[in-house]
Amino acid sequence: MRDDYLWDGSGEPDPEVQRLERLLSEFRSDRTAPELRPRPRWSAVAAAAALVAAGAWLVAGGGGGAPEGWQVARAGAGPSRLAVGQTLETGAGGHATMNVGSIGIVEVEANSRLRLERARAHEQRMALEHGLIHAFIWAPPRSFVVDTPSAVATDLGCFYTLEVDKDGSGLVSVLAGWVSFEHAGRESFIPAGAACRTRPGHGPGTPYREQASPAFRQALDDFDFARGSDRALAIVLAEATKDDAFTLWHLLARGDLAQEPRIYDALAALVAPPAGVTREGIRRGDRRMLDRWWDQLGLGNTGWWRHLEGQWPEGTGSR
Amino acid sequence: MSASPVVSISDDAELARAARHGSRAAFGRLYDRYARTVHGILLARVPHGEVDDLVQEVFLAALRQLSALRDDGAFGGWLAMIARNRAHDYHRRAREWTELPDEIPAADRHTPEALAALEAIRALPEAYRETLMLRLVEGMTGDEIAARTGMTPASVRVNLHRGMKQLRQKLDCEERA
Repeated sequence: MRDDYLWDGSGEPDPEVQRLERLLSEFRSDRTAPELRPRPRWSAVAAAAALVAAGAWLVAGGGGGAPEGWQVARAGAGPSRLAVGQTLETGAGGHATMNVGSIGIVEVEANSRLRLERARAHEQRMALEHGLIHAFIWAPPRSFVVDTPSAVATDLGCFYTLEVDKDGSGLVSVLAGWVSFEHAGRESFIPAGAACRTRPGHGPGTPYREQASPAFRQALDDFDFARGSDRALAIVLAEATKDDAFTLWHLLARGDLAQEPRIYDALAALVAPPAGVTREGIRRGDRRMLDRWWDQLGLGNTGWWRHLEGQWPEGTGSR
Repeated sequence: MSASPVVSISDDAELARAARHGSRAAFGRLYDRYARTVHGILLARVPHGEVDDLVQEVFLAALRQLSALRDDGAFGGWLAMIARNRAHDYHRRAREWTELPDEIPAADRHTPEALAALEAIRALPEAYRETLMLRLVEGMTGDEIAARTGMTPASVRVNLHRGMKQLRQKLDCEERA
């Protein structure tokens, strides 16, 4: 019966259904390969036109003429614009949605305070003083940056949540893509399904899987923010699974020299170092060796990172 | 047609529960599972050039409203409703804000035949066009469509059958013309 094919692709093929499947497949969702190209949003274009018509002029930015401001929608209020240098604050129960130029959307939860720092075609930057945001960015990596009191969150093409407490501590949780968390040359790369804390005076901690064991997470927190205790490190290394290899990879560059052999052994037990990667090389912070080991983790090739990063920031990969 | 993944409502309910309690990883998995469904629902209602952006908006809205979800097992139907509402908002905002054309022809990278087929589906009654988009564009089976949208399998079967019948008639007419 032909409807069987229409139902689930089984039975006698229906040539017309097959033809339509072929034709229409080009419209299919491609969720595993998000587009990382900037594209104009009709709403931003239309809103800019509406503002000009109303006599509110937008200042052209230095990076291709994008308007220096973000469109903001708040419950119970008409659309407005957040200009560079202005601050947005949501009170208890408040909420706002911002169009980040033409590259994404940021949802701002209640009790948040942020400032727009830059709104150029190739650089959109805000400072989150405190509160909670959800960012969904479809622009090329590094187009969207959030300053927090204790680290800088740089979007690498993704969907993430960033929370900053009033004491300046932060937590980034990544749903899709990657985020880089950086402070004073100390950088963490956080993949989807992972999170990373940051604290004033320390910068970003080590990224971890959100589904890692509570003991692992607590010990990592102690290691990162309580002077890297040996006991905490022992728990992290004992609890780590293969899925936590990226956490240990970060630790390679963070433990002191006395701790490094244990971290090396634990990571090697989970993901064998590739040919040419030596204990001595890792010990002296050889970035190429670190890169090559990273490539074995199943999280993408460092060639991709190079594309994103240009170069490793000074300090990354060295103690 | 590729083999369809196993659809498990109970798995989705577990993920929705975990996401509601703050697990971003669980929400990420729901995103993976439901992105095609949301994409198909939107494609049935808004210009195709807007769909990718709106998919993201739907998931952001879902993330924000997740605490209001009362029945974790109904996540699919709830998300489908958000997607339909977001499509409705799109058209309402378009009326309020702009006279810009729906599509920018110069930027369209699709073939005329594919665009014509898409438009033929979009001209069908709403229930048929959504179900056909999920089947013909997103490659979902009838069972998957039912599980992901909260519709009964019987409704999906009727929508597919009647929708395809109308679509054949429409395409025949266009071909003769």
